[in-house]
Amino acid sequence: MASKRKTMDNPKAEMTPMIDVVFQLMIFFVITIKQDDLFCKLNANRPAPGSSASSSSEEDTSIKIDVGTGGIFLNQRLMSHADFDAGIAKLAKVSKDATVLVRCTLDSPHHYLVEALDVCNKYGMYNLSIFSM
Amino acid sequence: MAKKPQTEDAQLDMTPMIDVVFQLIIFFVVTLKMSAEQDETIVLEDGKHGIELTTEELPPSHLMIDVSRTGRITINDYPKGGRGYADNIGLLTQKVKERVTRYGADNVPILIRGDIDARHEYVKKAMDACTAAGVWKLSFVAVQEPKGPNWQKLYDQVQGGKRRKTPWVGQQIERHKKSGAIKPSKK
Repeated sequence: MASKRKTMDNPKAEMTPMIDVVFQLMIFFVITIKQDDLFCKLNANRPAPGSSASSSSEEDTSIKIDVGTGGIFLNQRLMSHADFDAGIAKLAKVSKDATVLVRCTLDSPHHYLVEALDVCNKYGMYNLSIFSM
Repeated sequence: MAKKPQTEDAQLDMTPMIDVVFQLIIFFVVTLKMSAEQDETIVLEDGKHGIELTTEELPPSHLMIDVSRTGRITINDYPKGGRGYADNIGLLTQKVKERVTRYGADNVPILIRGDIDARHEYVKKAMDACTAAGVWKLSFVAVQEPKGPNWQKLYDQVQGGKRRKTPWVGQQIERHKKSGAIKPSKK
């Protein structure tokens, strides 16, 4: 009877292997964790069927941005990033709701298009349409 | 002679240590992010003024189309090999149509993740597939805040000589070096 009581008192769990496994798991997570870039999205519309980049109804009021291999053209003038930024800022002051037509040549690099959309977003111009030429 | 005090084995109480270790494990389990496969060769352009991509902006119905600089078009890095959907753009249109039929055109955010040097004709293929499926509103993914991987990758590629350093790429690298987003690799 006394021996039965003895074996039932204070059961001992072996902690050392459990701690080893727990530390292994921690090291795994410390090594695998990494910081990701923060991403964002820039919205744009594709033209409705039947419309073209040179539709007469939008020709007079819309802002035309041309994207080519050499860079970004605003109203048919090649611009540096700073000039383009300033140009869009001025146009945004006149009207933020103006239609912006972004016309891209097929061989233009994608980063110019994203740059153009980003600058338009910066000044609150969200009415963007993309045409391919 | 006085008895020497018996030296007892010092016992370390393990319970609080185990508690702290479990807390740390739970922290890492919660912060570990499991993300879908993507084309890892794509380097994104900066876009500080875009809408931040949060879980609300990326519902389960969203579709992220990757366009690499070689013209390879994939979704979650599939199809493997070749130029992906670029070789069969009808398949991409079908995939978008299925998603639109299931969730409705207004509930399927389409995001195009294009490489900085991808030609517009490749991006146009992806856009045309979306418009053929009845989606007119598209989004382009950009990096709002580079914390290392995107630009470090580009920097390493340029430094490693695997990629031509265009003047534009050079300017971006200099900008990110100044901001501390990338660290020069040791030679």
